[in-house]
Amino acid sequence: MSEADAPLTMRSAPAVGPLPSVVPPTAERFTLSNGLEVVTVRREVAPIVSAALMIRSGAGDEPPEQSGLASLTAEMLDEGAGTRDALALADELERLGADLWLGSGRDGSQLSVQAPGDTFFAALDIAGDVLCRPRLTEADWERVLADRKTATAQRRDQPEAVVSVVSDRLLFGEAHAYGRPVEGYTRTIERLTLADVRAFHAAHWRPNHSFLVVAGAFDAGLLRARLEGALGAWVGSPAPATPAPPAWPARPRLCIVDRPGAPQSIVRLVAPGTDRLSPDRPGLAMLNAILGGSFTSRLNFNLREKNGFTYGASSSFAFLRRPGSFAARAAVFAESTAPAVREMLGELAGLHERPVTADEHAKARATLLMRVAEGLATTGGIAATFGDIGLYGLPLDEPLRFVAALERTTADDLRELAARYVDPAAASIVIVGDRAAIEPGLRELGLPAPVLCDADGEQL
Amino acid sequence: MLKIEFESFTLANGLQVILHTDRSSPLVAVDLWYHVGSKDEVPGRTGFAHLFEHLMFMGSRHAPYPAFDAIMESWGGHNNGTTSNDRTNYYEIGPRNLLETFLWLEADRLATLPDVITAEELEKQLKVVQNERRQSYENRPYGRAELAIPEAMYPADHPYHWPTIGSHEDLEAATVDDVRAFFDRFYRPSNASLVVAGDFDPAEARALVDRYFGWQAKREPPTRAPRPATPRLAADVEISLTDRVQLPRLRLAWHTPALFAPGDADLDLAAHVLGGGKSSRLYRALVFERRIAQDVFAYQGSQMLGSVFHIGATAKPDHDLAEIRAAVDAELTRFAAEGPTEAELARARNTHLADFYKSLDHLQTRADLLNHYQNLLGDPDGVARDVARYADATCASVQGAFSRALGAKRLALSTLPEPVST
Repeated sequence: MSEADAPLTMRSAPAVGPLPSVVPPTAERFTLSNGLEVVTVRREVAPIVSAALMIRSGAGDEPPEQSGLASLTAEMLDEGAGTRDALALADELERLGADLWLGSGRDGSQLSVQAPGDTFFAALDIAGDVLCRPRLTEADWERVLADRKTATAQRRDQPEAVVSVVSDRLLFGEAHAYGRPVEGYTRTIERLTLADVRAFHAAHWRPNHSFLVVAGAFDAGLLRARLEGALGAWVGSPAPATPAPPAWPARPRLCIVDRPGAPQSIVRLVAPGTDRLSPDRPGLAMLNAILGGSFTSRLNFNLREKNGFTYGASSSFAFLRRPGSFAARAAVFAESTAPAVREMLGELAGLHERPVTADEHAKARATLLMRVAEGLATTGGIAATFGDIGLYGLPLDEPLRFVAALERTTADDLRELAARYVDPAAASIVIVGDRAAIEPGLRELGLPAPVLCDADGEQL
Repeated sequence: MLKIEFESFTLANGLQVILHTDRSSPLVAVDLWYHVGSKDEVPGRTGFAHLFEHLMFMGSRHAPYPAFDAIMESWGGHNNGTTSNDRTNYYEIGPRNLLETFLWLEADRLATLPDVITAEELEKQLKVVQNERRQSYENRPYGRAELAIPEAMYPADHPYHWPTIGSHEDLEAATVDDVRAFFDRFYRPSNASLVVAGDFDPAEARALVDRYFGWQAKREPPTRAPRPATPRLAADVEISLTDRVQLPRLRLAWHTPALFAPGDADLDLAAHVLGGGKSSRLYRALVFERRIAQDVFAYQGSQMLGSVFHIGATAKPDHDLAEIRAAVDAELTRFAAEGPTEAELARARNTHLADFYKSLDHLQTRADLLNHYQNLLGDPDGVARDVARYADATCASVQGAFSRALGAKRLALSTLPEPVST
């Protein structure tokens, strides 16, 4: 089509009006007679309800020799409860069209229910059984444990999973619970018993140590009474203390997990970050949007668009109860490994050499604002947003506070945060790839000889 | 009654336009489907439909690279595209003040992309796509099976024979002229449908769509290769390959009725009864009771030119695929003879309906569904018809569809651990 055909309106970008403001939905709060805090948010776009029960203990609360216990405890709870064995329970949930999901992360464990509005209360009763009356039988334990052992062994097949396990272990150290995988190691799982599960459940799965969000098209008139009915038998006990984190350990500059013949290298740069309650969090989220948290970010633009090394490069901060990690990541052509590492380190240094521009600052603010809006635009997103608020004990107006913090964070603030948090010299480089093919190039970059690890991060 | 509210109209140049308002959040989504997928490619030029998904971000005349992403991200919008055998889509999501920008960007690349595409840009995106192939298939456990299955199921001249991602060889051979010709043939207003969803005024949206797309010339919809013969396997096919995995996995596959054809929904339900979670027959028999498998799955891979029914099972350590296969076959034979129980059918149906409700919660998914029905049925108003297929299924219809599918020849593919030094 020739230029003459195009009307004038095509020739320049249309004017863009002001960004809409982010208006979080109204949340209501009450406490059940057993001490459980509940937050509810109505949304009626689709006839579904999402509930998320957050337990304020997760893999981060496990002793080192029990790595994997929190998530195994969560998984065991729906292996039969109340009057139903594991299969009968699964059958009944399916009949209701309900999803029940149990699992653990670093800082919390979670029971989630998602169901159509008209069967939600029936699904809630099953969730009540799971919480209050889990069967926890030896036969189910033996099966779940065997499945988990196989799954932790299969982790070796997944280079992206391996790079996470190894990076966390190097960064946090073996003494820190964040240094161990949520799923555990084969060697720690093998030693766990059903008694350990019972003890973890008794100590941590308590209403006074938990928080419930119900979002969606529920019957508001009945909700409170149905919650009392389903969860009333669940009783509290003294809340467990979170162990203090050990100091950041010394870590190697370069670590390789050999994967002979791998067509890609999975590259990760890791360094210390900060915690979920840090006042720096909004600014770091903005800084990250600029560095590697959006398509047009510096890392993706350099590695994918400019150099064609990868399908995508990104970065993130993990904001956890105790200080978490900063990570930059890319899966690159094996033959591009060394240049990719050079460019990634270069982009970290670039935050100091080429400070954040006004355009980047505006982009970061808009990106984060719209992420909040999108997070609140689905029932599951609302449950996740308020679940996170409950998990970390934040005020209910946290989304608005976050938005206000984004509004007042300046480009200068971002430069100052970059100076404090981003140091290419302090980053450890972890690569899962074909060692023989990539090591010479890495040596030419001036990197030291690599520490070699297995897929669990054990030094070889 | 389940429904996604919309209004629709057709521009003089043939572009189908569908508007769906949802003012619960200050967001808009624009979802543009081109009725072209890897099924429209020819041997030796595979991977083109998907390659376009990348080239479409390389700039257009009035929004030169990297304006497409830079402008929308500067306002907190984001976008992506997806390509399947059957269609390609592009979508943008962002604050409502970006609606006009989204339409302008989509319209400009539809009108002018071939004028600005260069060999250099093509070269760069080819590399990105080759990395995508490595990341998504070659360096992913069991990824080699995903490439091998369609190749074995379809003859070399059937367009489902090759994967959407294409081959490295064909990608490397792509020239700017090939790319222009492909674009010229399939990227036309008459071969597209546009959904605008979210927080906007319908009258304003109509005017904007008309402003940016209405001026573009009318051209006839592309001519297409005749629909290939319904594929069938003449004999059972056995394949064995190795991958960087520790546990062997069995895959079984049968040709089944196309998307929306009689039997398609029945087989979707059958897949759920057989492999949909803890309640399913294969999970129960192989994982829960006999504990010979680490995981099982079953799905009806519904597509326009013909579907494939898939089953997969990964052996637990110290168990082999012969044992897995015997156990799977015993369940399949029993299911083909008996069909589901009423309780199983009810569970599968309720789960399907609940999943459908969940998909309606998300703005972009609703937009995509409207386009899906437009592409498939020629009418965005497909929800009721779609859901009815599942409501109308009976134990007998599920059993009938499944036993017919199972009666045909099948592919059995074994992925075995590659010997690796650790």
